[in-house]
Amino acid sequence: MKKIKLLGYLFILPAITAMLFVHIIPMGWGIIISFRDLTIRNIRNWTSAPVIGLKNYFSAFNNNVSTISQRYKQSLWNILIYGFFTISIGFLVALGVALILNKPFLGRTFVRGLILIPYITPDSVAFNFWRFIFQNRIGILNEMMLRIGMIKEPIMWLVGRNTLTAVIIASIWKGWPLTSLMLLAGLQTIPQSVYEAAKIDGASVWQSFKYITIPYLKPVIKTIMIMNILWNFHAYNQFRVLFGSNPGIHAEVPNTLIMREAFEHYNYGLGSALSVILMLIMLSITLIYLYFFRFRKED
Amino acid sequence: MTKRTPLQNVLFYFVIIVILFFVLGPYCWMISSSFKTSIEIQGMNPTWIPQTLTLDNYIEMNNTVPIFTYFKNSIIVSGGTMIFSLILSTLAAYGISRFRFKGRNLYVVILMATQMLPGILFVIPYFMLFTWIKSNLGIPMTNTFQGLIFTYTSFALPFSILMLRNYLDSVPKSIDEQALIDGCTRFQALYKIIIPLAKPGLAAMGIYSFIMGWNEILFATILTGTKTKTIALGLLQYITQNQARWGQMMAACMFATLPIIIAFTAYQKHIVQGLVAGATKG
Repeated sequence: MKKIKLLGYLFILPAITAMLFVHIIPMGWGIIISFRDLTIRNIRNWTSAPVIGLKNYFSAFNNNVSTISQRYKQSLWNILIYGFFTISIGFLVALGVALILNKPFLGRTFVRGLILIPYITPDSVAFNFWRFIFQNRIGILNEMMLRIGMIKEPIMWLVGRNTLTAVIIASIWKGWPLTSLMLLAGLQTIPQSVYEAAKIDGASVWQSFKYITIPYLKPVIKTIMIMNILWNFHAYNQFRVLFGSNPGIHAEVPNTLIMREAFEHYNYGLGSALSVILMLIMLSITLIYLYFFRFRKED
Repeated sequence: MTKRTPLQNVLFYFVIIVILFFVLGPYCWMISSSFKTSIEIQGMNPTWIPQTLTLDNYIEMNNTVPIFTYFKNSIIVSGGTMIFSLILSTLAAYGISRFRFKGRNLYVVILMATQMLPGILFVIPYFMLFTWIKSNLGIPMTNTFQGLIFTYTSFALPFSILMLRNYLDSVPKSIDEQALIDGCTRFQALYKIIIPLAKPGLAAMGIYSFIMGWNEILFATILTGTKTKTIALGLLQYITQNQARWGQMMAACMFATLPIIIAFTAYQKHIVQGLVAGATKG
């Protein structure tokens, strides 16, 4: 019995070692250097960087300490707005399409395969062609909108005030198929007999959607939402590809700001503090979510 | 099933066409632009169908940016990530699935939690870690393939292990026990019996880690240099301050999508199953 237990450890040992070096130690390191004034001057010998306590953290929020705070607060606000629209609109599209694809029709398998295309397209490719689509003068989006009379003049999508809208549109396009796929899998677990029984009892389409479909989908929806909310904070590729390393104030998100602060301005300590704050925000959102929806593992 | 009236039928297919247009429109635009001449692309009033078809973009794309080299780099990095994460996560998933040991549940929780940590938190420590390894152990890490493979493997691991665990749980334990009775060691049982049975799960997981390596930009920005630049970063080089080569970029985009499309069509069923299982059970 004892030998078997040891064998279990042996199997997970390589993965644990890898994760220790890759996740646990660097995370601790990141937290430690967030209390230091680590810059290009002392990066090679980080222990010599002066300990400055919470100064980096104050810089993040106090306008009097540094100029970065305004930008950082704006970036947090932007990622919330971005997440709210990307997740909610993406979810509605995904749910609508999943409901449609759950109905029998000619060529259903084929269409189901096709809708996965945005999901499997590599990020860099997808956001690069969206960048082309959004071009002011030569892009197809402005051209189409002009032709049907939605706008009078070409819109500047990639500079200024419309940048956040542009990145939301592209991200919805890229993100909804996975959600739809998961909802579709959930829909297929609902037995048809339940709908038939409801119909005999005189339930309308809306009533069977509200009282059968939604309750059955609830566990899947919870998983989708928590995943989307957390992944939302990982968003970097779409901003980097569409706008370059500096998206401008209207589309600045914490990830782009931290990357510039660390690797263009070489303030590694400050960058670490900003990412620790981001982690704490993610952690609290997760905990609040878990508390309100009592996320249990249904095994 | 309720029958649709002809009018409902027309409406239904119309909605499907709208969905497909939204999904495929941007793709068609990429494909069509990759065959356009640069004069046509720069002109006003773009059209969906190229006025003159040309292969120039495909011929020229490697002269502007060494995209073939970047493609090769990405194959090495993503392939390496795939192999290492396959080995490590098969062992770990088998361990979690077959043995009950102290700290097992804790380990699973840690795996789930690490998936949620923002990548940005690790970028700066990695940069320092790699600098430290180079100056103290003499092993170059930044601007090398091993550095990137190391990074991507570890980021692919948590999800891969959890996904594969789900898969291995569905393989009955009695199969292992039979193999042990027949005189196999644990490793032989895993290697000879379980791995062949778990092939679909392994395929899904391998492709997942390959795609991860192919997509990644954040770490690649910091950890690659001229020798190891991946295709995800290479694509950005077609647009410079002075010149925007959209046609060539679209051609290169088509080229960069190729391996993913091939891998996905070959294993579509497994990937879809694996994703859904990993997402609904985790």
